[in-house]
Amino acid sequence: MINLVYNEMLKIVRKKRLFIIAAIIAVLVGLFTYAQFKHVQEVQKRLGTNDWRTQLQQQIIDTQNRLNSSGISEEWRKFLQIRLQQQQYYLDHDINPSAPGAPTFMRMFVENSIELFVPLMVMVVVADLVSSEASGGTMKLLLTRPVKRWKILLSKYIAMVLSVSFIMLSLAVLSYLISGAVFGYGGWNLPLLTGFAVHGEELNTANVHMLPQWKYLLIELGLAWFVALVVGTLTFMLSVIMRSTAAVMGIMLAALISGAILSNMVSSWESAKYLFMVNLRLTDYISGTAPPIAGMTLGFSMAVLAVWGLAALIVSFFVFMTRDVY
Amino acid sequence: MKINSVKIITVLSILASGLWILGLGVMVQDQFFHQATPLPPKVATEAKTNDRTLHLVALGDSLTRGTGDETGKGYVGYLVDELRTKTKQPLQLTNLAIKGLRSAELVQQLRQPEVERQLKQADFVFMTIGGNDLFQGGEALRNLSFARIQQTKAMYLRNLETIFRTIRAVNPHAVVFYISLYNPFKQLNNGKTTSEIVRQWNYDSAEVAARYPNIIAVPTYDLFELHVNEYLYSDQFHPNKEGYKLIGERVASLITFTKGGEK
Repeated sequence: MINLVYNEMLKIVRKKRLFIIAAIIAVLVGLFTYAQFKHVQEVQKRLGTNDWRTQLQQQIIDTQNRLNSSGISEEWRKFLQIRLQQQQYYLDHDINPSAPGAPTFMRMFVENSIELFVPLMVMVVVADLVSSEASGGTMKLLLTRPVKRWKILLSKYIAMVLSVSFIMLSLAVLSYLISGAVFGYGGWNLPLLTGFAVHGEELNTANVHMLPQWKYLLIELGLAWFVALVVGTLTFMLSVIMRSTAAVMGIMLAALISGAILSNMVSSWESAKYLFMVNLRLTDYISGTAPPIAGMTLGFSMAVLAVWGLAALIVSFFVFMTRDVY
Repeated sequence: MKINSVKIITVLSILASGLWILGLGVMVQDQFFHQATPLPPKVATEAKTNDRTLHLVALGDSLTRGTGDETGKGYVGYLVDELRTKTKQPLQLTNLAIKGLRSAELVQQLRQPEVERQLKQADFVFMTIGGNDLFQGGEALRNLSFARIQQTKAMYLRNLETIFRTIRAVNPHAVVFYISLYNPFKQLNNGKTTSEIVRQWNYDSAEVAARYPNIIAVPTYDLFELHVNEYLYSDQFHPNKEGYKLIGERVASLITFTKGGEK
């Protein structure tokens, strides 16, 4: 079994995809680091100070002004209201939610890439894991070995899990190293708040507690890994079912992008919360942003994702073991 | 060589998997099984910084916010521009104004610890308040009731008193410029009556301001008297860019710098 997994890893590494992904991450992180750096400079220039309390207070006032202007949508108003209460809570407890530093940048990068960027990178590796064997004709060679079919698929699945872990690792390491060059490498022990619960337009702070940033990051990366794993499993299933890698990519892309669009407009369509793609933003529950549909919680979203992932896993094994290969 | 890199990546991936599973474990423990211990609010205790920066704080309603000025500067923006030409000292402006704010809400806002901290640092405070109390978004004009306006004014003056008292208690030294009202409805049918109400309102407010040291009531009524429509934004209520410039210049002219520093 170990040899089989090793063999699959060898195939993945030989395709050089992992290096391409690392390069893409490096370029994007560089880009975002520069953008963030510019932003910090601009704010500092506008307010004439780098005191974060003044900056946060100014953000709160700006939000209040936006809330008072007519013609903003109900959803946006709710989102702003929640964020306002959260910012005020941070301010009242004298905690800076965005102290500069590489770990803060990492946290923001993970929060913003969990929905689309990480799944995309996972797809690049996983989409042709099985389908390329089918379209390339190597499937027959693989199946003529005296190894059970489920073992072959399992080895591929384990290799998939390992590459997902590797992608998350390179994301974490690269974003830390590159952004640290600008923002400094410190800040692992900064306190952050978690445990906000959203009830309608109110923010429940009864369960709020402090976490050091390293723990917070570990939690967020774990969640991002979980999301990547579910998306990877779904892609894996499509890759088993279909011979064409392009079709696999197309379907997954459509699903992911529709998820990004849907989360902005599904608040009135309640049953949409059972779709996997509106549940991808798990890190939002940690930071305390209002979910796209009222009533969604961390446990709920993880359960939905887990069910989708398990179903995909069962389907892929079933299809792979019963299919005729010719 | 190839074999080695595969081995390294595989081992790294296995270690990373362990790390991410640990992350999920920490998450479950932290998010689902956490004993709630409410956090007490903590206030930043920081003495006034002794740098050379001149701290300006703006408080109040849409006028201070700059509603109606397409550049978004408002009179505070033009005022700061003007001050920059007068002094080389670095200026730091904190604009805490909120559209539609009434005097009672400003009293509330001043209780926030961070707002208090900002005030404590301030060298100059600029504020407009009362427009929304008096005009109530134009509602009060449709049925001008003398009794009701008296009642509103009495309440407003009490709030104003509290506002000034709070500012003085927090910061005894800052110079406060209280910018009083103009009459945007001068050209309307009952312009004479509304003008009278605004004048009386301003007079009473100035009386309150006079009870405190270094609180200066700055009139704007006269600025808009002759050409009110040229200085109003299309909503016929807020000043436009030109109107804001006039107010900004007037306040700026009250601040002079000597070699020693402010005032």
